[in-house]
Amino acid sequence: MLPDSLLIYIVLAPGVAALTGLFHKWIGDRVVMTVTTGVVLSCGALSIYQLIAYAAGIGGAAEAVHHASGYDAYLTAGVEAAHVELRQHIITLMPWIHVGDFQANWAIRVDTLSIVMMAVITGVSGLVHLYSWGYMSEDPHKSRFFAYLSLFTFMMLMLVVADNFIQLFFGWEGVGLASYLLIGFWYTKKAPNDASIKAFVTNRVGDFGLALGIMAVFFVFKSVEFGPVLEAIRTNAVVTPMFAEAAPAREAVMVFFGERVYALELIGILLFIGAMGKSAQFFLHVWLPDAMEGPTPVSALIHAATMVTAGVYLVCLLSPIYEYTFYASGMVALVGAVTALYAATVGMAQNDIKRVIAYSTCSQLGYMFFAAGVGAYEAAMFHLFTHAFFKALLFLGAGSVIHGMHHEQDMRRMGGLAKFMPLTYAAMMIGTIAIIGLGLPHTKLGFSGFFSKDAILESAFAGATAGVSFAEVAFWFGLLAAFLTSFYSWRLIYMTFHGPAPHEAHAHDAHAHDAHAHDAHGQDAHAHDDHARDDHGHGHDHKPHESPLVMLIPLALLSIGAVFAGFYFYDAFVDANNEAFWAGAIYRAETNHVLHDRHNVPEWVLWAPLVVTVGGFLIATFTYFFNRGVGARVAASGGPLHALFSNKWYFDEIYQATLVRGSAFLGNLFWKADKKVIDGIGPDGLAKLAGMSSRRLSLMHSGYLYHYAFVIIGAAIIFGAVLWLRSGGVN
Amino acid sequence: MGGFPILSVMTFLPLAGALLVMLVRAATAGSSKGESSSQSRKAVLLAAFIISAATFVASVAAFFAFDPSVDGYQLVEQYAWYGPISYKLGIDGLSLSLVLLTTFLTPICLLASWNSIEKRVTEYVIAFLVLETFMIGVFVSLDLVLFYIFFEAGLIPMFLIVGIWGGKDRVYAAFKFFLYTLIGSLLMLIAMVYMILAAGSADFEVLEKFAFAPGIQTWLWLAFMASFAVKLPMWPVHTWLPDAHVQAPTAGSVILAGVLLKMGGYGMLRFSLPMFPDASALFQPAMFALAVIAIVYTSLVAWRQTDMKKLIAYSSVAHMGFVTLGIFAFNETGVQGAIFQMLSHGLISGALFLIVGVVYDRMHTREIAAYGGLVNRMPIYASFFMLFTMANVGLPGTSGFVGEILTMVGGFQAATWAAAGAALGVIFSAVYMLTLYRRTVFGEITNPHLNDIKDMNIVEWICIAPLAALTILFGVAPNLIFNLTDSSTARVLSLMAGGQ
Repeated sequence: MLPDSLLIYIVLAPGVAALTGLFHKWIGDRVVMTVTTGVVLSCGALSIYQLIAYAAGIGGAAEAVHHASGYDAYLTAGVEAAHVELRQHIITLMPWIHVGDFQANWAIRVDTLSIVMMAVITGVSGLVHLYSWGYMSEDPHKSRFFAYLSLFTFMMLMLVVADNFIQLFFGWEGVGLASYLLIGFWYTKKAPNDASIKAFVTNRVGDFGLALGIMAVFFVFKSVEFGPVLEAIRTNAVVTPMFAEAAPAREAVMVFFGERVYALELIGILLFIGAMGKSAQFFLHVWLPDAMEGPTPVSALIHAATMVTAGVYLVCLLSPIYEYTFYASGMVALVGAVTALYAATVGMAQNDIKRVIAYSTCSQLGYMFFAAGVGAYEAAMFHLFTHAFFKALLFLGAGSVIHGMHHEQDMRRMGGLAKFMPLTYAAMMIGTIAIIGLGLPHTKLGFSGFFSKDAILESAFAGATAGVSFAEVAFWFGLLAAFLTSFYSWRLIYMTFHGPAPHEAHAHDAHAHDAHAHDAHGQDAHAHDDHARDDHGHGHDHKPHESPLVMLIPLALLSIGAVFAGFYFYDAFVDANNEAFWAGAIYRAETNHVLHDRHNVPEWVLWAPLVVTVGGFLIATFTYFFNRGVGARVAASGGPLHALFSNKWYFDEIYQATLVRGSAFLGNLFWKADKKVIDGIGPDGLAKLAGMSSRRLSLMHSGYLYHYAFVIIGAAIIFGAVLWLRSGGVN
Repeated sequence: MGGFPILSVMTFLPLAGALLVMLVRAATAGSSKGESSSQSRKAVLLAAFIISAATFVASVAAFFAFDPSVDGYQLVEQYAWYGPISYKLGIDGLSLSLVLLTTFLTPICLLASWNSIEKRVTEYVIAFLVLETFMIGVFVSLDLVLFYIFFEAGLIPMFLIVGIWGGKDRVYAAFKFFLYTLIGSLLMLIAMVYMILAAGSADFEVLEKFAFAPGIQTWLWLAFMASFAVKLPMWPVHTWLPDAHVQAPTAGSVILAGVLLKMGGYGMLRFSLPMFPDASALFQPAMFALAVIAIVYTSLVAWRQTDMKKLIAYSSVAHMGFVTLGIFAFNETGVQGAIFQMLSHGLISGALFLIVGVVYDRMHTREIAAYGGLVNRMPIYASFFMLFTMANVGLPGTSGFVGEILTMVGGFQAATWAAAGAALGVIFSAVYMLTLYRRTVFGEITNPHLNDIKDMNIVEWICIAPLAALTILFGVAPNLIFNLTDSSTARVLSLMAGGQ
């Protein structure tokens, strides 16, 4: 474990580094870039060292627990014990909001969960900073970009080290701000502006749930700190929610909208709504694909590896809550399973290389959620961890392709890139093999996705056997999604890197492309295609080129993680040493054995993922490698299923027609009510009644009688409302 | 009693300054024939600024003389006046924090008028300084009659500021403003007369302990609320606010949103809760309903606005809805949150009106459609605007968050549906603020008049930067304020509990 000073450095230094962006006029772009990149890389190195040392130490025995001075909370943990004592260290920086029982501090909470998250965040962020030296080299606003990246890193760290719900919310909304600023980084263009607002507002819908969840937590536990709240659930201590009788925490009942509901169920569901927004789960996923309008390094860092996993982190952190709920955890499992499958179907039919990967992210997040929903939180965190490597790798690889193709993102205008950018190709192959989870059951041979994804599917099956709600749905949806994942991932590789290179026969392709772009993408993407085409215009004489070294180094390092992270950390995260590793940071109820029972699943369950993965590979190979025309013909034939998938199941259209239009209608209606009804009856009406024009102020005194009348009528209305509310009994 | 009458000095310093300005003006009027040259215009503004700055220093002195750990009113000055009426001043944490807000914002307002007020500058600064005295007076009065005088008299300078230095439809707006506020005040006056007769004293401390019969309380509560609801403003008596804001000069909007609205919330905490506890409890559901309507309804209306100032005005109504919610939660989190929200909104909405003023001074239009792409020419402006946009949507780390979350947490404990309704407003605030920002600041420059627009000048920096600093400071360390308001919150709640 690192000493306090270094932990504080890791969390706060990126925030300070971000501030250098304010002074870029005086110190210049290069200083800002060097400071931010240097700081975040150093944080990354420290955090990864910490994680590796931590995991390695656990492998030995209890003596691995560090006993450095000041680490009073890091007390011995009985490795053999079924439920390990919570090992946690909290550094309180300063008080934040102290009002009565509402006590929130600025703090750094160090436990296994935050150690894992810190390594993922700063590790990926450092590499993305480095990569951006190449990718953003021609952008005139480099300082702003790097400052935002560091700001994001800081906010994300504040989120994962919070020791209370309020600091978590600070980080939660803070990463939303950074995401908003980075999606809309190219602020003169329409599409990024639209996408950034959509992202922020959709997240706010989720935050609505999160905020209510936090209020409910305070209502029941009279605290907003994780420590006392989670401890009360772990020990089933007696709590007294307002207006309700005292009861053990797990059975406590509270009144919500006049209904008596189980407090934990309500809290779990409300908080999960927040997680759905941040992690782009079904119903609230619509912002994530549009977020691809941001620069590609941003997509890799925020919209793949870190920010979107915050929801998964939240559910795992609050495992004591979800362990003792039926509906809330069922909802987590169901929403996760549906998202995993839904996003995979859409991912099959997209042509923008970044959107394919975006839907893939959405789908993989679904896996993490249903893992957590069935009680395999460790597997969810493991997948979060491995996914960070291979998804960041895929995104940065895609960025390398886009960079090499002079800002072309439409895969139909790519092809044959393998020979122009062999290193990028190799990196993308590694990422693809990792995401489809290739590996041999019963052995430890496989890429990192194999270890985590199979652990999830096996856990889901074990959960189904044990009768966990929606575990069976999760297993089958997950298996089907694995098939689709393999298909769209290979489709991406074939369309991009294999076959003829369209730039060699560009004139021939261009017309066909226009026709497709319209029906396949709809309006949003259309504007985006335009800009891609503009950029392409001046560059299309140049051949695609391999990216500079500064972009390839991050690819190489992530590739190492994508290959070995699963193998190396398997024991610690989900297998033999998992209890010692998590050290109570993830809580499991006495009845929850899914992680253990997954070793007892039937033989076919172990092989099924491999079979569907190979199946997906074969079909993709047949349709996009040997017969390159088949895929395009399916798309052109415009079958209903293809239309549904390529239009993302029409979510945008439905939301536009209902929520957006509906709110606009109400807004206009209320505005009219202000002018016609309230003013009409109120001041304007009085003025008319008194027979004076609004310009003849001198006569105003004659209106007094009517003022009284107006107030009395108003009072009568209010009074009536009181009586109604009193009798109606709406709480 | 005894000692230095710091509250009186602080309260009447601006008024004395106004008289001084008037006298100097009268003395020099003959020589310059009433023509206000640019130089004398600036001299007058500078003099007023110095006076208001001195007032701020006086209020800071009061802050240091104040002991937040002591319960009840402090620095009390009391002189018998007439029968049950006395001249009595005093502060607690609640009033002190609002006084500081007033004395902090007034110099900024005068500075913000540096380039924008052209005509009748002397009268303008006199109106402003007189207004400052009345505003401070409202917060430090501990006598009903004194309070009423300050409360009502404040109407007149504000009425003049809108009506004389306002925009095209200033007369209509001023009329509407006057009409609305006067109605409420009349009812309040009747209630006050009754209270003084019944209790035999106009002293707050006596009235707080005097138990009015529940039936009577209801009527008194309604009469007072008629006034406070208009001031705050609450739905449906809010429609004067957008008009007044749109027509008022920038500084007028800042002081209106920053301080005058807070008199409504202050009144609820000073009168409604402690003096009429039974009626407050009776009306709690209705107040929640009105708060939620204010938040949701005006947020949606704000989204549909095409005028920048109107949008921010509607957003003010929504944010004041949180104040109502917090106050009527009757618990510590809610009331502390409401007080904090008032202070925070004073800073944020004041800053937003200044932000609008910056481009209005250059372009002379408030139409959102006339702008777009400002970031290309005014990056510093864009940064400040972004900060206050985020503060207005309640981003954690800014002061806007603390007030919203605490009032909602407090509201949730009293009625879950009210908190849920208020939380909806948090979504809508993001919609209208981000839309406003995107339409004015982001994008390409389409209006050719914007091509030569200049970024913020030094005066604008001096006005806006302190507000930005405080918005972040109170967002990160809100305990600075809670320490101040802690005991007065506890006092309000205990008076309320004692009465029930």
